[in-house]
Order: sequence, then C-alpha cells, then structure tokens
Amino acid sequence: MAIGGSSRRNDESGIRFSRTFTVALFLVSIVLIAFDRPQARSPALASLRAGIMDLSAPLLDLAAAPVRGISNIGPYWRNQARLAEENAELRQRLNETRYWRDLALQLRDQREVYEQALNVESPATQNRIGAWTLGDPDGPFVQSRLIGAGTRQGVDPGDPVLNVYGLIGRVVETGRVSSRVLLLTDLNSRIPVMADRSNARAVMVGDNSEYPRLDFLTRNADLEDGDRIVTSGDDGIMPRGLPVGQAQRDRQGRWRIRLYSDQAPVDFVWVFPFEPISAPETGADGSDEQLLTDEAAGDTGPEQPATDGAETSAGGEP
Amino acid sequence: MRPPIDTRPPYGLMVWAVLSLILALAFYAAPLRIANGPDLMPMLPLMTLFIWSTVRPRFIPPIVIFVIGILNDVLTGGVLGVWALAYLVSLTIARSRDEDGPTREFGPVWIRFLVVLAIAIPVAWSAGSLAIGQPAPVRPLLIEGVASALMFPLLAFVFIRRRNLRGTFGS
Repeated sequence: MAIGGSSRRNDESGIRFSRTFTVALFLVSIVLIAFDRPQARSPALASLRAGIMDLSAPLLDLAAAPVRGISNIGPYWRNQARLAEENAELRQRLNETRYWRDLALQLRDQREVYEQALNVESPATQNRIGAWTLGDPDGPFVQSRLIGAGTRQGVDPGDPVLNVYGLIGRVVETGRVSSRVLLLTDLNSRIPVMADRSNARAVMVGDNSEYPRLDFLTRNADLEDGDRIVTSGDDGIMPRGLPVGQAQRDRQGRWRIRLYSDQAPVDFVWVFPFEPISAPETGADGSDEQLLTDEAAGDTGPEQPATDGAETSAGGEP
Repeated sequence: MRPPIDTRPPYGLMVWAVLSLILALAFYAAPLRIANGPDLMPMLPLMTLFIWSTVRPRFIPPIVIFVIGILNDVLTGGVLGVWALAYLVSLTIARSRDEDGPTREFGPVWIRFLVVLAIAIPVAWSAGSLAIGQPAPVRPLLIEGVASALMFPLLAFVFIRRRNLRGTFGS
C-alpha cells in the first residue's frame, strides 16, 4: 500500500543533526536514569517532576473529561434493567446501615470521652481531600496515578489514598495542585497489614500483578481465605484499619490480596491527611531522645559521648 | 488551487507539530480507559515523533526527542531518562537510514516504524529494569508495542496522506 505515489524528494532530504549533541543527550539520559532511581531519587529532580506534573495537570484533566462522560453512559444503560432490584436491595441495606451509623456515632462519642480523659489527640479526626485522577498509564516500571490535589489542598507525601471501596496506595510526590500516588500493586509498595479477624500481621508487597503478596507472615499465622485485610498502622506511616482487601491463596499456595479498590475504576479518590505518630526517639522537641541517649551514656560511663555509648553497647563490648 | 505546503512559511506547521506532540503526551497519560477495560493505549508520543521525523525531520531535532521522552517519563511516573533514552536510540538508528532522504511509501514507513518499536522497547525495558533494580514486567510493554504497530497505519494515513494530497509527497 503506497501512501505517496512518487519517490520524489522534498527539500528536507539529507538533514543532519549534530552527532556530538546527540551523544551528549544520550549521556544526560543515562545520568538521569542513574540519579532518579526510585531507591535514590534526588530532591532536585523530585521538584522538577512536581513542577511538570502541575503544569500538565489541567491538560490531562481536559483530555480525560470526555472519556469520563462516555464511561458513565455504558454502566447507566446496562444497569437500567437492574435498577428496581438494586433499589430494593439498597433500601434494605440503608436500614441496616442506620443501625451501624448509630453504633458508630455512639462509639465516637465514647472515644472522645476517653481521649479527653487521657489527653490524646487522634489523627483519625482529620478531613479527607477529594481528587480526580488525572493520569493512569499502567507503565511497566511504575504503577502510579496522577491526582488533581496537591500541597495547596493539604496533601503530603505518605498520605493514604482510597477510592469508595478501599485503599489504592499512598502519595509519593506532591506538586502544588497535583500529586503522584504509588499504587499498592507497584513493585516498590510495602504496606504493613493485618487480618481483621485474627490480627495476624504481614507486609503487603506489590509485584506489579493485580494481587499483591502477603510477606513476612508469622509461621502459625491465623489466616483464612476471605479474611478481611486492613492496614495495621505498624509503620506509623499509615493509620490503622483502612480497608485493603480479602486474603486468598494463589495456585502456588502463597497468600495474596484481592484488593477492594479493584471493584471500581480509580477515577475519583480521597486522600486522608495523616500525621504519623512519631516514635519517642524522634520526638520533635528532642526531650525523649535526650532521655534515651542519656541512659545509653549512663551505661558506658559519663565521660563518653552518648552516641559512642550506644554503639559500644550494640557492639557487645564487655 | 492551494499552493504546495513547502512554499509557505512553516510556522503553522511547526505549531501543529508542537500541538500534536503535546496532545499525544496528554492522551497517552490521561485516564482514557473506559469502564475498567484493558489498557490498549499505543505509544502515541513515539508514533507522533516518528511521523514528524519522517515528514518533517527538521522539526524533530534530538533535543525535541529528548524533551518528549522526559515529559513521557514524568507523566507516566517512571524513572527520568528511560523513555528519553529509548526514543533517542531508536529514532537515531532509524534516521541513520535516511541518508537518501525520508521514505514516502507507506510500506517502508511502516516497516521502519516496526524497527523503531523493536529497538525502543528493549532499550526502555533494559534501562527501566536497571533503574528499578529488578526485571520489569514485559507484558505491558508488549501490549503497548502491538497496539502501536497495529494503530500506526491509521495515524500515518491521516498525517502522511494529508501531506501527500497537498502535493508534498506526490507529484
């Protein structure tokens, strides 16, 4: 099939570009790859990425708008026949939900009383931030989403991101009006989780498949097919109790998770700003840290610096 | 009768080239999957770069290829430099066959694009795998590659045929 009927050349025949410049660009690309690896990403490159993300966010939003409209047409017409049935079912569920709502409100009041009595500040009282997904390329190297909320809306790196069904990932890069969310399925995703029923702990590890693995399970972990898996909050980065998915065994007998968030396309998400509870060693005022290092110094003698004392005791000196 | 495109100042065409590259990036990165269906988005930035470097090589110097590659990396959340390197390597090799001027027949253009794909995909996979420290999954890249190979004729027809009708390629 010939598109051009003639082989006549135009005036651009034989265009040459600088070979040195091209080689220089090759080298720049290689240097960028070396300095922008997920394990060692330089802050300067991270801010460059955030700037470009912010600039492109409105354009991506515009490009996605027609498809968002089309996406809603199909389900609407498909579901017409089932609407009446669903309506009845939803009414029944609403009645059941009222009971749970009353119970939740009761428990919230009870918790507030306890928190006041104990003088505790709960991170769970913070508001969620809604955002549209602006970009969802399923790349082979990183599984992430670009969302339309950034530092201006209060999003910070590490914040958990959920859709209506459950956790989808956490924020890894923030721009002013956009953020990058690393999905639970990504190779670099590691989230401490637990079984809701038995509190069996594990780490959910993404491997670019649709079903993340459960690693670091204890030998006699009490886990069953269909167990509800939630975040354990053990890392202090995620709050405890966010819904993640259901445990199930794969063909090799390994535990994996069927993610709740897969039940719907990730088009609208909520970011939950979460202030991690800092460990006593890294307290903001440094008082706890001072206390611990003083104790360590006390073990090894007052004339030694605290850090030296800690190293000595760790090293097993008599 | 409309004058041949080459006799007019190319500013309009340059704007169209820039716009098409931006649109290709936007559509490639935007969430365009309908109702959770399969992700069959072809490599639009590479296709657009290739077509423009076939019909107007002057508009696509290496720096443009590099910048589009970097933007592709940022928008897809990948490691900076992976697609820039893949695009640079594949298009530079493809251009090294252009010493006698760009091809104007559709068949050779398509074959040349398949060669570009066959170079870009392994380069991107190798660079990306090195960057993330383990072999990246091949399937998404292959799906993108097949989608690109199959959808290329449509894009090429629109771009190249249009120019051909205006007298640039044909007599």
